[in-house]
Amino acid sequence: MTTQPTVEDLKVIAEQVWSSYLDVDGTSPLLPVAADKKVIDVTASVSVTGAWRGHVLVSCSEAAGKYVGAALLGIEFDDVAEEDVADALGELANIIGGNVKSLLPEPCALSLPHVHIDGSSGRYPAVTEVCHLDGTWRDESVTVTVLESTTDLAGAKA
Amino acid sequence: MKILIADDSRVMRQIVTRTLRQAGYEGHDLVEACDGQEAYDKTVSEKPDLVLSDWNMPHMSGVEVLRMLRSNGVQVPFGFVTSEGTPEMRQAAEDAGALFLVTKPFTADTFKDALDPILG
Repeated sequence: MTTQPTVEDLKVIAEQVWSSYLDVDGTSPLLPVAADKKVIDVTASVSVTGAWRGHVLVSCSEAAGKYVGAALLGIEFDDVAEEDVADALGELANIIGGNVKSLLPEPCALSLPHVHIDGSSGRYPAVTEVCHLDGTWRDESVTVTVLESTTDLAGAKA
Repeated sequence: MKILIADDSRVMRQIVTRTLRQAGYEGHDLVEACDGQEAYDKTVSEKPDLVLSDWNMPHMSGVEVLRMLRSNGVQVPFGFVTSEGTPEMRQAAEDAGALFLVTKPFTADTFKDALDPILG
């Protein structure tokens, strides 16, 4: 039986990322509850291929994306440009995806991140959701989702 | 000392730079590379005293950079700063000649543990 990541795993990973980079002084943690209004303006994803195949997505509101950019780059919120948001969210997906990958069977490879800043989440055909973490950070919505591919490389059902 | 920081993310290059400072390694000459090919080229041309490299980068992975450096006789101290730290990757890094592999997210203390033997 394949071990699958759980929402509890995502909480642990997110807590490590937030305490290291996004909430260093401990005053604005990611709360593991859905935001009052779930908004997806930006989505960054990394793909996993190999013994396990799927995707890890980090989705958030535009404001949350700018908060991530400001925190990671060490600049003011108003100075965060769109390319900063893309780079910061992509790195966030890379870090979270890399930690999720460590829970998966080997051998697997992690792709470079893809970032969608047009409000779409990207297309992930033939997948099933393994788990997701709805969070609230600075009153903005942040969601981490793990999707597993349901077809093998030849396109047949896994 | 001259330190080359190789990562395709500008954000992560900045975080590594900031963490080096927080860990007490100030006053070093920092050089950046934004993909594997540039990491290789700048290691050869800039002759850094230490390379801190991401694993997963465009054009050439970090471990491919390290293997190519070693096969061309470049013995620069080399460590990975990467989001993945599976036992297989740690073994591959060690086999290629890496001194350490630091996983993201990391702290200043993590950097100290890895870098003190080299920079301390």
